Amino acid sequence: MEAIIEVKHIHKAFGPTVALKDVDIKFYPGEIRGLVGENGSGKSTVTSIIAGMQEANSGEMFYQGKPWKPKSMIEAQNAGISMILQEANTISHVTVAQNIFAGREAEFSKFGIISMSKMNAAADELLRKYGLEHIKANHSIDMYNFEDRKLIEIVRCVNDDTKVLVVDETTTALSLEGREILYKLIHKMADEGKTVIFISHDMEEILEHCTVLTVLRDGDIVGELNGDEIHALAAVKNIRYLMVGREIGEKYYREDYDTSHSDEVALELKNVSFGQIKHFNLKVHKGEIIGFGGLSGCGMHDIGRICYGIEKLEGGRVIRNGMEIKTPLQAIESGIGYISKNRDSEALILDGSIQDNIVLPSLTALENKTYISPKSEKAMADKEIEAFRIKCGSGKQWVGTLSGGNKQKVSFAKWTAKGAEVIIMDCPTRGVDIGVKQAMYSLIENMKKQGKAIIMISEELSELVGMADKIIIMKDFKVTKEFERSPELKQTDIIEYMI
Amino acid sequence: MEEIKKNKVSEYLKTHINDVASYGGLIFCILVFTIIPPFFGENIWSQAKLANIISNVIVTALLSVGAVFVYSLGNMDISIGAQIRVYAMLIVLLGNVTGSLLPGILISAAIAIVIAIINGGAGQVLKVHPIIPSLVFMMILQGVSSIAYAKLGSRNITLRSVDFSAFKSTGLMVLVLVLETIVVSYLFYFTKFGKNARAIGANALAAEQCGINLLKFKVISYVIMGVMVVVAAIFQMGYTGSASDSTGTGFEMNVMIALILGGMPLSGGMRSKVSCAVVGSFTYSILAVGLPLIGVPTNMTFLIKSIIFIVVVLFTCRKKNGVLPR
Repeated sequence: MEAIIEVKHIHKAFGPTVALKDVDIKFYPGEIRGLVGENGSGKSTVTSIIAGMQEANSGEMFYQGKPWKPKSMIEAQNAGISMILQEANTISHVTVAQNIFAGREAEFSKFGIISMSKMNAAADELLRKYGLEHIKANHSIDMYNFEDRKLIEIVRCVNDDTKVLVVDETTTALSLEGREILYKLIHKMADEGKTVIFISHDMEEILEHCTVLTVLRDGDIVGELNGDEIHALAAVKNIRYLMVGREIGEKYYREDYDTSHSDEVALELKNVSFGQIKHFNLKVHKGEIIGFGGLSGCGMHDIGRICYGIEKLEGGRVIRNGMEIKTPLQAIESGIGYISKNRDSEALILDGSIQDNIVLPSLTALENKTYISPKSEKAMADKEIEAFRIKCGSGKQWVGTLSGGNKQKVSFAKWTAKGAEVIIMDCPTRGVDIGVKQAMYSLIENMKKQGKAIIMISEELSELVGMADKIIIMKDFKVTKEFERSPELKQTDIIEYMI
Repeated sequence: MEEIKKNKVSEYLKTHINDVASYGGLIFCILVFTIIPPFFGENIWSQAKLANIISNVIVTALLSVGAVFVYSLGNMDISIGAQIRVYAMLIVLLGNVTGSLLPGILISAAIAIVIAIINGGAGQVLKVHPIIPSLVFMMILQGVSSIAYAKLGSRNITLRSVDFSAFKSTGLMVLVLVLETIVVSYLFYFTKFGKNARAIGANALAAEQCGINLLKFKVISYVIMGVMVVVAAIFQMGYTGSASDSTGTGFEMNVMIALILGGMPLSGGMRSKVSCAVVGSFTYSILAVGLPLIGVPTNMTFLIKSIIFIVVVLFTCRKKNGVLPR
C-alpha cells in the first residue's frame, strides 16, 4: 500500500532546543496512528509541521505522492489535512454556525449577502450528524463550555474532503460522552480509508483505539508497535519503557492510605453562594489533599476560582487564618497559590521568559526597598528549573516555545518558588505525559508531607482516587457524594454520582 | 555544519527582528545623512545642525521615554499634545505673573497627575478602551487652551521677566534626557512597576492571577508618563521662551511613530523596551533634520517619512500563525 503522507529526515529546532532530530515516518490510509512520547518528545511538532502550523528547518515531506510544503494551516485544511488542537480554538462572540463555517461563508452567500438561515440549517444538520443535538447553530458560542466548543471545533475541522485528521491531545478536554463521539468519528474515518493521527497521554484510550503506535523520545522515533504488540499484556510496560528510556518503576500514585492530617484549618469556605452554587461549605486542613471530581460543567472549577478570590461572591466568605479572602492578591499574600485549568490564557505569559513567569508572584519578596536584582530573580528561577527539570536552553527562553508538560511545570514552579501553603490545582496534569505526571504526583505527595493543604480539581477520576484523602463529587453545582481514601474505592463506584 | 550555522543566524534574526529593524533603521539614517549631504554642501555633523537635531529630538525623546510604561501596557495616550499646550501656557502665564517658573511647573505637575490617575483608572474601572479617556482629555484641554488664548486676545505669549536661556543649552538637554532614561530604565527593568506593567500588557488575566493589582499599576504607569510630559513641556516652552495655541500639535503622533520606529510592539508586553523610545526618537529626528539637507522639498518629507514608517512596520509586525479560520 502506498503511504498518504511520508516524512523524510525532518529536523526542527527552537533556538538551542532540538525538537526533532531526523525523523522519518510514513502514514497509511485507513490507520489510526497513535503517537506517544513524553512532553517535548516531538509528537506535536511532527504533526504541526504536517498540518502547516510551522515549517521544518530541513527535510522533506510527501503528501499523496507529491512534495508537500504547506505554508499555513488553511492551505493544509484545503488540501485535506485537518488538525484539532489541545487548547480552545473557537471564535468568541459569534454564533456556532459562524464558527463551523468560518472561512467558508461564500457557500451561503448570494451577491455578497450571507443567508444566516441557510447557514444555520446546514450547521444544525452537521451537528445532528455528529450526535450533538444539544448544541444549537444559531446560539452564540459564548453560551457553551470548553467541552462543547471543542466538539464544535471537531465539526468544523472534519468534512467530506478531509483525508487526514490530526487529533492532538483533544480528549483531555472532553468528558466521557464527548470522547465517545470523537472515538466513533475516528473509527468511521479509518473505515472509509482515511488516516487519523492520534496524540494522547491516556494510555488506555491509545491501546483501545489505535491500530499502529509510534513512540518518540527526545525528537527521535524509538519504536513502532503493530496490532498484536499493542494488545499484548505487557504493552503498557513496553511503551513506557520506550518513552522514558528506563524502567520508571511501579510507583505512580500515592501508595499509602494514611488520611491523617493536622486539625488546623488552612482554608475555609463558609456558606458561599456564587451563580448556581448555593450555600457551599468546605474545610481544608493542613496536610490534606481534597479532590474535586465531576463532569466539566458541574461547578467544581468555580470552587477553585472562589477559593482564590477571583470570583465576586453573592454570599458567604472565604477564610484563611482568620482573614477574609476577596482578591487574588489577598489570597497570594496569605499563602494561597492557584494553577488555572486554562494554562495558556490564564496561568502563563507565553511571550515572557520562563524566569519572568516563575518570579512574577514573588516580586514583592525579592524586593530590596524597590530594587529587584536580576541575580536574585535568576537564582530563584534556576532553582525551580532544576528542581522541576524543565527542559529548556535557559531561563531566558520564552514559555510559548515549551511543550505542554514543561509549561505546566512552570505554572507549578511559580507557587513552589513563592512558598505557597495552600495550593489549588485545577486539572494539574492536563496534557502532561506519564514521566511528568509521576514527578508531579510525588511532588504533590511531598507537599502533603510538608503540611501543605491541597485542593485538587480533576476530570481524571483515576488521579483523584490515586492521590486524594477525600474526594468530593459534584453534579449540577451541588455535592452529590463524598468518598474517603481507601484501597477498595473504585472509579466505577464514583461515576454514578457524577452523571 | 554550514546549514546549522545559517540556521542559527536566521533564528537569531527571527527572534531579534525588532532590534535589527530599529537599530538598522537608525544606522541606515545616520549613514545616508552622513554621506549624501556633503554633495549638497551641507554637513549634518556641523555644530549648528547637531544642536538642531538635539533640540528636535529632545521633546519627542522625553515624551517617548516617559510613554514607555503606558505603551508597555498595550495602551496609548492621545492627550499628550494638548497637555503640553496647556502646561506650556500655564508655565509662561504664571512665570510672567510671579517672576518664577516654579509655580507653573508645580501646578502643571499637579494637573498632570490628576489627569494620569483618571486616564489610567477609567479604562480599568469603567471597562472602556483606554484610548477613550485620553480622547476626552484631549478635547477638554483643547477647549481650555482655545478659550484661554481667546481671552488673552493673542495666539501666542512670551516669557518676559524670567531668564530661560539655560533651557537652550544642548548640554542641559542631553543631561536631562540621559537622567530621565536612567530613571525610567531603573523603574522599568529593576522594580515591580515595570515588571508588572509589562506583565499586564502581555497577559492581564495571568497578571491578575499572580496578584498584580491592575488598577494600581496602570495608574502608576500613567503617572510616570504624566510627570515626563511636564518635563517635556518645560523644554518645549524653554526653547523659545513662549507658548502658543498650536504648541504641542501632533506630539502624541510623534511619540507613537518614534516608538514604532524604535521597535516597540504596539500590543505592549514583555518585549517592550526603553531603548525603543530613544532609538526611535533619534531616527525620527534625524529624518526630520536630514531630509531637507539632501534637497528634499519640505512638502515631500511627510511622504518620505511615511514610506520609511511602512517599511519598519512591515519588518517588525509579528506574523501570527494562521490558526484561524480553518
